[in-house]
Amino acid sequence: MIKQELLDILACPQCQGDIYLNPAKDGLICDACKLEYEIRDDIPIMLIDQAKKI
Amino acid sequence: MSRLKDPVPARLVISVLIKDQERLQKVSAELETYFGTLEMVSTWMDFNYTDYYEKEMGAPLFRRMFTFKDLIEQENLHKIKLTTIKIEQKFTNEMGQRKVNLDPGYMTPERFVLATGKNFTHRIYLGRKIYADLTLIYQKGAFKPLPWTYPDYQATSMLVFLQIIRQRYMYTIKGLL
Repeated sequence: MIKQELLDILACPQCQGDIYLNPAKDGLICDACKLEYEIRDDIPIMLIDQAKKI
Repeated sequence: MSRLKDPVPARLVISVLIKDQERLQKVSAELETYFGTLEMVSTWMDFNYTDYYEKEMGAPLFRRMFTFKDLIEQENLHKIKLTTIKIEQKFTNEMGQRKVNLDPGYMTPERFVLATGKNFTHRIYLGRKIYADLTLIYQKGAFKPLPWTYPDYQATSMLVFLQIIRQRYMYTIKGLL
């Protein structure tokens, strides 16, 4: 599982604001952009065009 | 006869040093114009390792690190540095003082290299007045500093960020190795 310290250093590539781990711990959520970035094989995929709209 | 092999494409990493945090979006938009879609963006990192930039840019300064979706050819690092200098010039005051400092570098599986305009013993000339600084090497699962590595590139937050970048980078180039 991806470590919290790794997540603390990442920001949303669109608004550059805060992101946080979703309850299932398989995605990173940006509330401001309403986007969820998938975590695949413990690697966050921080691409806006691959993020899921929430 | 030796058989030469193409170098693997590298991950472009750019450090943005800035005083006015609200200006960051404009700077990042400018970077995207030249280098394509942003991928990883770091949270704010404190920058209190040197007062070298204070006279020109003020204080306190803050840093964000950016990476981009598109990989680069390693041989283009000096051209990228020249482009970032041009971008810096768009963010200057009437005295010509920079409001943003941009430091581009690249990551390969083995190393992290920064571009610089300053010559020094360990730096290798790339062309057009730009040198390469071997800043970190990757050994035994981690980035390791060298005797000349700036303290900010040895900081835990930086090493953690670069480790995430590398994970994603290695995934991206899996088919190329």
